[in-house]
Amino acid sequence: MEDYKFLFKVVLVGNAGVGKTCLVRRFTQGLFPPGQGATIGVDFMIKTVEVENEKVKLFIWDTAGQERFRSITQSYYRSAHALILVYDISCQPTFDCLPDWLREIEEYASNKVLRILVGNKIDREDREIPTHVGEDFAQRHGMYFLETSAKEAENVERLFMEIAAELMEDKIQARSKELPRYETNTTSINGKTTSIGDTSNCGCSRLS
Amino acid sequence: MSPRILLRTFQRISGLRFSSTKPAFTSDRYKVKRGPYARISNDHVAFFNELLGRNRVIADAEECEGYNIDYAKIVRGQSTLVLKPKTTEEVSTILKFCNENRLAVCPQSGNTGLVGGSVPVFDEIVISMKFMNKIIETNELAETNLGVLSSDEFFALGVLTCEAGCVLEDLDNHLGTVGLMMPIDLGAKGSCLIGGCVSTNAGGLRLLRYGNLHGNVLGLEAVKANGEVIDCLNTLKKNNTGYHLKHLFIGSEGTLGIVTKVAIQCPPLPKAVNVALLGLNSFEKVLKAFRLAKRELAEILSSFEMMDRRSIDISFTTFGMKSPLTSKTDGHDFYVLLETSGSNVNHDEEKLGSFVEKALADDIIEDGTLTSDPTKVKHIWALRERISEGVLREGYVFKYDISIPILSYYKVIEMIEERLRDPRVIRISGYGHLGDGNIHVQVSIPSYEPDIASQLEPFIFEYVSKLRGSVSAEHGIGFVKTKYLHMSRTSSEIKLMHEVKKMMDPNGILNPYKVLYPLEISA
Repeated sequence: MEDYKFLFKVVLVGNAGVGKTCLVRRFTQGLFPPGQGATIGVDFMIKTVEVENEKVKLFIWDTAGQERFRSITQSYYRSAHALILVYDISCQPTFDCLPDWLREIEEYASNKVLRILVGNKIDREDREIPTHVGEDFAQRHGMYFLETSAKEAENVERLFMEIAAELMEDKIQARSKELPRYETNTTSINGKTTSIGDTSNCGCSRLS
Repeated sequence: MSPRILLRTFQRISGLRFSSTKPAFTSDRYKVKRGPYARISNDHVAFFNELLGRNRVIADAEECEGYNIDYAKIVRGQSTLVLKPKTTEEVSTILKFCNENRLAVCPQSGNTGLVGGSVPVFDEIVISMKFMNKIIETNELAETNLGVLSSDEFFALGVLTCEAGCVLEDLDNHLGTVGLMMPIDLGAKGSCLIGGCVSTNAGGLRLLRYGNLHGNVLGLEAVKANGEVIDCLNTLKKNNTGYHLKHLFIGSEGTLGIVTKVAIQCPPLPKAVNVALLGLNSFEKVLKAFRLAKRELAEILSSFEMMDRRSIDISFTTFGMKSPLTSKTDGHDFYVLLETSGSNVNHDEEKLGSFVEKALADDIIEDGTLTSDPTKVKHIWALRERISEGVLREGYVFKYDISIPILSYYKVIEMIEERLRDPRVIRISGYGHLGDGNIHVQVSIPSYEPDIASQLEPFIFEYVSKLRGSVSAEHGIGFVKTKYLHMSRTSSEIKLMHEVKKMMDPNGILNPYKVLYPLEISA
């Protein structure tokens, strides 16, 4: 078995054509595939990164945006550590659908999951959603926020690396909390969720 | 695209490419001696014309050619007469006449076999079963039927009874309309006939789940060499009364009788089918994935197929199909196609999700894709199913279909690679039904070379024999494997086989030179 310290499941969701697969391929392979077809079902892969000299393994689940091509919806949300919700900054409808995606996330995902809103395709001239509108939305829903371009490789590496770092930090904090909790035999569910609470307060400043 | 259309495309293309390179006559290439059979006379032909009418008697050399060459183009017979009976009675009359006149016959179904069992060696009369294609009865457990079931029907729920010449895919489509499916599925489903499947005990892609045809065929009707019709068309699931004679006709490749009707048990159509394609970097990991799949997916696992890089490359390069796995630009050393069939979508997805997570966490798989979308499911299956068709375009293909203990499963490819370092070799590849311990080995070269044949055989069979494996896991013995039968069967078994053959077909007219050969024929 490979020596890695951390293992996180990162799931990408969002409307069809917003560039989920391109973000993943940019990150895992460093390329931008023009004319990428619609994802059908779900593709999964692994990428190992290094954060503060620790090996962190990311399972990346790239899901279908189109309703009819989606499958195993529940199980890919379940046990996810981070959810990347993607929209296309040049396409208003993909932004308008965000509340629907959030409802689905609420329904299936753990409430502790790290949630990141990503506005992709900032290389495009025909922007329809100003940055502050996306930022506002993220803030209101307790999400991190970042704008990216899979085509120009802008912020893609950063997106995944920050997620890895954040999850690692959460894990370390959770670990240090686990010990006293066990000894004093007090339940501190709140203590564990603070890391998520924190993200809603200071997350935006950190990532954007 | 349906496999049948694929096959047609293949035939057209191969017709263009190989029209000038028909395989050599079997009798020449393999130096076979013709048995003591009568030659076809005008009187014989007149008899058949009278019986079947001229439309169902083919005596034109050009038209006969399609019946003389096998799908893999490794053998070629010289028959000048093809008969197309429509009823059991006609088959019976034909065989009675042939037996009395010592005319050898070669029963033929879809002619998709890979061991030269379905085409004549010399001038045997081809009995094509294509016209016996009626579905006789389907007993399904449909809700609308429950109220009006008679007691007879109740015992036969989920049983299909049909004639031997029905195309497997047609049967599957027919059953689909009543919520059932065939318990057998193979790449050749668009062309192969159920009678041929039964006669060869064909395995295929779902044997892992539903078992082989000895279990699934509840009963059959067959015609013996002397024209006698044996009715064992039982439709009961349990019937331990006397000898189970149906087994004599399942897998005996038309050497003991011609199967004319079949009763087969059919499982309900699964409500949820999911297919995953996984990329792995070693065979050891393929085994680990299999063990994990058996544990995590258990009763919903319906297929576990493995392909090495050079096998799946055939589908990529020959047919220009795209790999659904994109995380590694240069692909993977091994691929696994895994299918689940179950009755509850959520239940199956839960299991699959957990399987994938464990497989990723334990570093078993590098990446993968999972879907229930019918188009993508078909695409992924096509990557696996078209390997066998695609490799034929490279020229001549030595194909081996062997069962070996699972730990040695892929070693056979490595051994051949080591042994066969010849620049003429285009490709050495292995793929197959890992779940059944069955691997298909392919060695392709531009055209048949006897010296390469002798480097491969009997070497590969000896290797298999040493491991107590089978020299033919699912393709049968046919013509090309006869001399290796003893490597997978004991001498006591083979002796009894000869005795059975002699008793059932004393003149040896049924599919001669196949399975048991050389065969002593009583004068």
